Amino acid sequence: MDSSEQAIFRAAVQGDREAFEMVIRSVSRNLFAIAYGVLQNREEAEDVVQDTFVKAWKSRWRVRDSAKLPAWLATIARHRARDLARKKRPEPLSENFESQEVVENASQTADLDGEVRSALAQLPELHRVALTLRYFEDLDYGTIEQTLGLTNGALRGILGRALGLMRKRLKPALASIG
Amino acid sequence: MATTHEQIDELLAADLHDELTAAERDEFHAHLVECAECRQAFQEGKNMNRILNETMAEKKADAGFETRMVSQFRDRVPKRSGLISLITDLMRVRAVQVTAVAAILLALAQMGKMITGESATQKQRSEYISNTVEAETDKPGATRDLGVLAKTDGRSKGADLVSQAPAPAPPQDKPQTETSLPVTVYSADVLSRQTSTAPKTKKMQAKDEKAPTSPAETSPEFVEERPTSPSAVGPTANRKLIRNATAELEVASFDESIQKITAFATEEKGYVATTSSEKQANGKLRGEIVVKVLPDNLDRFLGKLRGIGDLKNQALTTEDVTKAYFDTESRLKNARLMEQRLIEILKTKSKDVADLLEVEKELGRVREQIETMQGELKFMDSQVAFATVTITLAEKNMNLPAAFLLKEKAQLSLYATEVEKTYNEIKALASPKVQITNAQIDRDNTGRVSARLSLLLAPDESEGVIAKIKGMARVENFQVTTERVSQGGDGLGENAKTERDKVELNITLSRDEQETALQQTTLRIETSQVSEKTKQLRAIAEQQGGRIRSSSFSRDPNGREYSTVSLRVPMKNYSALMQALNGLGKVENVSVRRDDRPDSQIDEANAPADVSMTIYSQGNFISADTGMWATLRRTIGQGAAALMWSARMIGVAVAFLAPWALILGAVGWVARRVARARAARKQAAEQEAGRR
Repeated sequence: MDSSEQAIFRAAVQGDREAFEMVIRSVSRNLFAIAYGVLQNREEAEDVVQDTFVKAWKSRWRVRDSAKLPAWLATIARHRARDLARKKRPEPLSENFESQEVVENASQTADLDGEVRSALAQLPELHRVALTLRYFEDLDYGTIEQTLGLTNGALRGILGRALGLMRKRLKPALASIG
Repeated sequence: MATTHEQIDELLAADLHDELTAAERDEFHAHLVECAECRQAFQEGKNMNRILNETMAEKKADAGFETRMVSQFRDRVPKRSGLISLITDLMRVRAVQVTAVAAILLALAQMGKMITGESATQKQRSEYISNTVEAETDKPGATRDLGVLAKTDGRSKGADLVSQAPAPAPPQDKPQTETSLPVTVYSADVLSRQTSTAPKTKKMQAKDEKAPTSPAETSPEFVEERPTSPSAVGPTANRKLIRNATAELEVASFDESIQKITAFATEEKGYVATTSSEKQANGKLRGEIVVKVLPDNLDRFLGKLRGIGDLKNQALTTEDVTKAYFDTESRLKNARLMEQRLIEILKTKSKDVADLLEVEKELGRVREQIETMQGELKFMDSQVAFATVTITLAEKNMNLPAAFLLKEKAQLSLYATEVEKTYNEIKALASPKVQITNAQIDRDNTGRVSARLSLLLAPDESEGVIAKIKGMARVENFQVTTERVSQGGDGLGENAKTERDKVELNITLSRDEQETALQQTTLRIETSQVSEKTKQLRAIAEQQGGRIRSSSFSRDPNGREYSTVSLRVPMKNYSALMQALNGLGKVENVSVRRDDRPDSQIDEANAPADVSMTIYSQGNFISADTGMWATLRRTIGQGAAALMWSARMIGVAVAFLAPWALILGAVGWVARRVARARAARKQAAEQEAGRR
């Protein structure tokens, strides 16, 4: 992170609206990706991002280390999205993906988009968020890790697993394309 | 290669996302060449990646997303005015928060002070004094006791002022407020003397009036402040300390100890100031010795003292007179200056004889003061130069008694038939060895007589006299207490001799009538001739040495006669009396109560026994209350009473119920009226509706 960015973050935390708007411009897409990753719904995700900025602005004085502002924003967005998801669907999304029987042939008739969607929905939240961040914004692994607060190198395993699961679930469809 | 195979998902994804290092990529692709399964997976993965890229591209944030976000943010978070935002932002800074909390606490404390009335002026004062002290410390010589030095400095300033006195400088400009009362008043005094000779009187008089008031206002304040001013504690060497010690010792021999103490005193470069001794009744010596030693040797001297005997207690006090000493010293200095000034005035400026006399008088006063102060200083010096040790010496077994005294006290209570006679008999016993210290006889309005006597008997006569008195009347109670009093101490005193002291005898005399009977008997005798038998009874009683105490006679409407007699006989005649009574008639209801006093050895034969008798006869006529008419009358009377009672009950019931009935009736009436009114209104409405 270069020093000008740092300065912007610091100013934003200290209450400079212009700086904060610059931060909004720079991170809103990532936040959208995260929110979408959790919620799988564009309108809701957009609302979440909006709420995130308002809330962040009001409680910006809580940020001790201004360099971590993007990660902090990402955390807020993720929490808000999760809250919304929980409200919308009282029963949590299945996290127990390993034991889940892979439905191979059930979705043969459905269109590819729907299949991808349902496969995504079956992934754990973190995996989904990582995928959306990667595919929406084409971010490199390091940035994603930083945004999600992951340790160095953890993302490779997560994305690998996510893609692997997707691949297995969409095997028939993939085969047909192939 | 196995690891690559196992990690195929990870490597695959990383390869697709172009996140593999060159080495990893080489290895991965090499594995793909070898492993068909992985190759298959790779192909699928590539497709997967493509699909995802395509589907996701549709869903990701659109181009105007950021701008939308910013504008929405602007809408939802309106800009606040500069000052408010500045304040709210400021409040979020930790340092500002801490400061705010501190400020609030301070304000609370200040409010608390205001409420409790702790004046803020005090604080200002102490600041003021500390300022002056600081100012004074710069001056040479101000090192140890800052409070004192600050003050003395002030004084010397006052002295300077005195020496400058003739110069017509306005006193307000001078630091006169810091000087203390005596000196300033002084200077004003002198000024007035001076100005009376000088031509420019008016101006000076005005000053004269002003000058004494200003120190009067300020000086009490100064005095009050002094204790609050910080005073540095200096080494003891330059302080004026008066050391005093007291010790109490128990020694075997008084004289020997005095010698030893004198020797110690000379060893420690001291001297014995005073000694005093006192011989006790039991031959033991007690005394006090005052020793003066050099303060530095005091502790060693006290240590030596312990060797002499048993140290009972010891106290060491130190009085710090440094301040008083320097105060007096500086005052002395001022007084000397004053003296010189006065002498100068006397020599040079004097022309008027009256003024000269005034100055002379003033000079005398100042010199007297100087002498007093010199004396004070000298006294303090002497006190400081030597420490005073006051030693109280007492020989061992100080409390051994010299002799014992047996003190006897006897208390004798007597019942006499004729109190006055016995009283006079006892009084007649008086002789040099039998002294009557107190004798009194009381008669109350019911005719009861009692007497009290106090006698002092010589020890050898006492027993005989007491026996003689006992023979004069009946003894109710005799009590002797013997007390052994030790003289000159409270120990056992094996060798002390015992002496008998005079016997103190207190006698109370009362009439035997007042004595409670040993035995009380009540009985009834039925006879037809009551009055005759009563007469016989009196005769019997007299015969048996009894005394009639009371008697009464009565007759009731039915013709029954009662005669009650109570008499008292000595116990020895009791049984004879009882037998004689049997001859009078039918004796019934005999009850005897005897007060046994097992503890007391009384003369039972002479003890009194009370007998109270009721002699009565059966009535002769029929009662007026019997018969038909009486019965009828009673029945009607009872019936009427019952009727009246029931009438009363009815009255009570009515009183209970009437208010309730009234209330209920009123409520019912109101309810009916309301219902009627409502019905009428309804009817009217219906009619109106019908008309329409």
